[in-house]
Amino acid sequence: MDKLASLLHMTPAIFWMVVKVVIVFSAIMLLASVWTWVERRGSAMIQDRIGPNRAAIFGKIRIIGLAQLLADGIKFFFKEDLVPEDANKGLFWLAPFLAFVPALIGFAVIPFGRSFESGGVTYYLSVLDPGNGMGLLYPMAIGGMAVYGVLLAAWSSNNKWSILGGMRASAAMVSYEIGMSLAVVTIFMTTGGYDPAEVIKTQGHLPWAWNIVRQPIGFIVFFTCMFAETNRLPFDFAEGESEIVAGFNTEYGSMKFSLLALAEYSHLMTASALVATLYFGGWQVPFVQNPTVMLSVASFLLKMLFFAWVFVWIRWTLPRFRYDQLMHLGWKVMLPLSMANLVFHAWRMSQGH
Amino acid sequence: MGVIVKKVELSWLDRTYVWPVMKGMSITFGHFIRNLFTTTPNRYTIQYPEMKKEIPEGYRGLHELKRFEDGAIKCVACFMCQEACPARCISIEAEEFSDLNITQGFEEKRPAKFSIDMLRCIYCGMCEEACPKDAIWLRNDYEVAAYDRLSMKYGKWDLMNTYAEADGKERLSQDPTPSVPRRTIVM
Repeated sequence: MDKLASLLHMTPAIFWMVVKVVIVFSAIMLLASVWTWVERRGSAMIQDRIGPNRAAIFGKIRIIGLAQLLADGIKFFFKEDLVPEDANKGLFWLAPFLAFVPALIGFAVIPFGRSFESGGVTYYLSVLDPGNGMGLLYPMAIGGMAVYGVLLAAWSSNNKWSILGGMRASAAMVSYEIGMSLAVVTIFMTTGGYDPAEVIKTQGHLPWAWNIVRQPIGFIVFFTCMFAETNRLPFDFAEGESEIVAGFNTEYGSMKFSLLALAEYSHLMTASALVATLYFGGWQVPFVQNPTVMLSVASFLLKMLFFAWVFVWIRWTLPRFRYDQLMHLGWKVMLPLSMANLVFHAWRMSQGH
Repeated sequence: MGVIVKKVELSWLDRTYVWPVMKGMSITFGHFIRNLFTTTPNRYTIQYPEMKKEIPEGYRGLHELKRFEDGAIKCVACFMCQEACPARCISIEAEEFSDLNITQGFEEKRPAKFSIDMLRCIYCGMCEEACPKDAIWLRNDYEVAAYDRLSMKYGKWDLMNTYAEADGKERLSQDPTPSVPRRTIVM
């Protein structure tokens, strides 16, 4: 590794950083695009349909519908890039990136495998090494940024349906953020720190010591709020076929639209990685004290993809909420629940548990 | 008159919302697993170009003009179908075709031209109902498509040959010379 780094005129530390960034972000983008396929085929299976299975490379290779991804990508690239008249052009162009980048970089602090030592140097498998001072506050803060993407996309496209969708979505995101943060604060409290590595280390390798067992209420609140945060059904208020056309991305087409869609799925990936880290022991392998690096990465990926699948699964199970029901749930159920959770665990800690 | 709507009382378990969600998720997951292990031919969806639905008897698809065993058209150009057609898509041109007449057991008329505009046809089967000679049938072929309007106008020979391959009959392009009387008339 050192030789490769010196070949590229980099210090090993920077080289390792670049490698991590490339691997992590390309993996997430790949997973996000594959998840569009999982969503379509999975929903088809759930509803006794078949789903996209016709697209084929050279009319031959179908690979169970995965060629649809390529077809969609090519289609989006070659479509006309329309910007509506009277749209705020700058913001209209900026919005998809503002939606996409926060969804992606929220992953930066999450460890996706255990650290290993090589040549006296410890290598950490997370883009930012632990002890960076931001810890899990960073994905929370970045998650809050995602509102801007939706809101700007809605506002800049000069369409009243869009802005209705954007306002609804941002209201939902902001109000669910409080419940979510309180659930996370409870974890910080019981952990004694907010570094993801620390959170994972405290949970240990035994499944009954994971936070899901210790704080099931916190998990339910956090997971529910994640649905609102990522703007997915049953809380997808940015969109709404029957009410406001396609919502915030009504005016978007071609690659900008696909970037918005990709942002949603990257957000989903980051959210499921967060759930896995906070409540399911991150890269810890159940019952294995010191797993190998590959095993820990596999374990993390499995947990993350499972939760990504749960996102899809719930989307095709539950009907949408009405807006007032959403607000009711957010403010009158989720917030008190997470507060009670916080107080309960504070009390337990004061009792010396 | 007022109608008393009975309100559904939810149990406390249902009101937690978590339990019903779990139930719903188990249902959808059951469907998912079942479909995952069901082979394509056993699914509800029919993969159209490769798989085709079995057409029930009495289906009203593409028309056929029936023929006698010697290849003569059964149609006697009585214009009943043209009259009955609600879409006005049938147009017939009649001709007299021999010196032999009905008293000798021969039909006297047959269509010189018989065309159905398949773009206008609504496949209602009224022509079949109206036909006194049982000469026009609507059968099971439903794949009627073409690249231009003109080829959707089926002529006499097109209509006589629509099911020739399916029935294992030869394709016709010419009326046979009448030789055998179609019926004997008791004088």
